[in-house]
Amino acid sequence: MRWLVDYHSGVPIYLQLVQQVKAAVATGTLRSGDQVPSVRTLAEDLKLNRNTVSRAWSELETEGILENRQGSGCFVTSTVTPLRRAVRTERLAAAFDQVIVQAHHLQVDDEALRALLDERLRHFRKTRRDKAEGARE
Amino acid sequence: MIDVQGLVVRYPRGEAVKGLELRVEAGRCHALLGRNGAGKTSTLRALLGLLRPAGGSIRLFGLDVARHEAEVKSRLAWVPDAPAFQPWMTVAETLTWTAALRTKWNLDVQAHLLSRFELDLDAPTRELSKGQRTQLALVCALAADPELLVLDEPTSGLDPLVRRTFLEAVIGVFQDRDPQRKTILVSTHLISEFEGIVDGFTVMANGRAVLTTQADEARARFCRLRAWFDGDAPESVPMKTVRPPRREGRMLELVVDSAPDEARSWLAQAGAARVDATALTIEDIFLLAA
Repeated sequence: MRWLVDYHSGVPIYLQLVQQVKAAVATGTLRSGDQVPSVRTLAEDLKLNRNTVSRAWSELETEGILENRQGSGCFVTSTVTPLRRAVRTERLAAAFDQVIVQAHHLQVDDEALRALLDERLRHFRKTRRDKAEGARE
Repeated sequence: MIDVQGLVVRYPRGEAVKGLELRVEAGRCHALLGRNGAGKTSTLRALLGLLRPAGGSIRLFGLDVARHEAEVKSRLAWVPDAPAFQPWMTVAETLTWTAALRTKWNLDVQAHLLSRFELDLDAPTRELSKGQRTQLALVCALAADPELLVLDEPTSGLDPLVRRTFLEAVIGVFQDRDPQRKTILVSTHLISEFEGIVDGFTVMANGRAVLTTQADEARARFCRLRAWFDGDAPESVPMKTVRPPRREGRMLELVVDSAPDEARSWLAQAGAARVDATALTIEDIFLLAA
């Protein structure tokens, strides 16, 4: 997978890495058991401070998305997220809140926002399906 | 880790540093940015004990630099902008000589870096190019296993490939063991290549710190907004901007240093048909502040 850091997005660098892994897992680019680059490799490739990559990886570990297997590296977890349902809902609600605030600033009304959510869900479903078909071939 | 208070550096021709405050925690990478003559090099020289400040205090590792010179120097290393070696010595002799002066010397680090840099051990240092001198200075600095690495304009005048290997060595080797303890202070006016490494930075102008901030925080705060209107762009802008708003036909450009979301929201309410927001990079911010 191709890693990107955008210094013009205003998003903290560690968070950009966290979001990239999450998006890659959600779209099936990264699957359970896949290895992600070591902190050192990714830091050197992207010319990032190692502490920044470490922070991203440990955050993803805390969230149960990555697991660090001692000595062999960092992998996408094979188990489903261990977070309780309530915690998951709460986290998601916070993310939705941000989107709603953004939508307000961009003058996107409720109906358009709902339509957009449906559209994005369809997009992710399609990407996942395409990836799965690609893998079988 | 670094605690500088009220630093004053005076030369016969005037004051180069006029009461500088600088604090950097262990494990961080901090950049000192400024135009030529802003006081960066004088600050570093005072920090390294190479000149005596006219005022203020400098503590490194919790120790007063003036009183614990030997211990402080054993725990730091620096790469000057124009490294000089004994011209009659070879690369190998220079390394042996430097190692003898240091309390710690890591031969594995030395061997690893030599293989990365392809430095010829038998070459006399007077025959080295600028890039090779900088590489040798970095080997000398990193093999000494310092807690604090001071880089003074480290990559200026180097070709892109050398700059790249330099940065990779800093990330891959210096930060390799115990990264929470390894601190970097880098003075530079070529900041873009350090963008991802720098945790925080101080912009100096006329011997003073004019801006000190964390890098992530700065990128979240400083923003350039461009808005296109169907009619004329609004005459007045209610929020504080870093520089006067720029108008170009139906386009209005604002640069803000706080609350970019509020500015965006105001532009939308003022009737902008389209708004583009771009966070400023450290380099952009430096150019605005210096």
